[in-house]
Amino acid sequence: MRTNTGTIEFKFERTIPASPGEVFDAWLNPKIPGNPWNAAEKFILDPKVDGLFYWTLNGVSHYGRFTEIGRPVQIQHTWMSPRTLGQESIVTLTFKKQREDTLMTLVHSGLPDHELARGHEKGWNYFLDIFPGQFGNGSRKEQ
Amino acid sequence: MDQLTDVLTAISHPTRRAIIGQLANGPARFSEVAKPFDTALNAVTKHLKLLERAGLIERRKQGREVFISFRGEPLREVAGWVHEYERFWNRRLDQFEQYFKDKKKKEKKK
Repeated sequence: MRTNTGTIEFKFERTIPASPGEVFDAWLNPKIPGNPWNAAEKFILDPKVDGLFYWTLNGVSHYGRFTEIGRPVQIQHTWMSPRTLGQESIVTLTFKKQREDTLMTLVHSGLPDHELARGHEKGWNYFLDIFPGQFGNGSRKEQ
Repeated sequence: MDQLTDVLTAISHPTRRAIIGQLANGPARFSEVAKPFDTALNAVTKHLKLLERAGLIERRKQGREVFISFRGEPLREVAGWVHEYERFWNRRLDQFEQYFKDKKKKEKKK
């Protein structure tokens, strides 16, 4: 069997009406809706370099290690769950001031994949083209 | 291996994707499946075995002939897996953004 080192990467951007510092702090505050820890049934969060986190939702556990905490510019941590097939993926958040707002970018990279990574867009368009109706109604916004 | 891994392995090879594309048009005999490929029949057999293990094709006997047909069901699991992260982060970020928008509205009202 052929082993493969390809990965998938997702990139998301949001403009948040607050300063980078406020947004940065809110992301690491489990009381604020929207961050991964807020929805958890149980969580452990130690947001410092080499600090660990754990959270579980619907019986699915997620683990990670903070690799960069640079208030108010960047947060980076690893991300492992059953969906990463036992491999460490990387989540990087950047906060950039834009006038009165903050441009928040989240990149989830290193998600294990096979050949889908490099031919992802091509591959899925290919499948979506030839198998209409085989897929759900999800939409993709690859960048 | 779990089925998701089997499916990802099966669709990772261009020849197997071409076979799927071919079978998406309708069931075919082995000789028809093998015809477009400039490769040994043994290699085609191996590709078909991987597709079958992933549940992407099935063989059906009709009289003395065996027809191979495409099954799309396992691809949904792959699509769900790929999309799950996108859905997850979009949901979380939408909530996060909304929290700040609501907060700003409240502050304006004061």
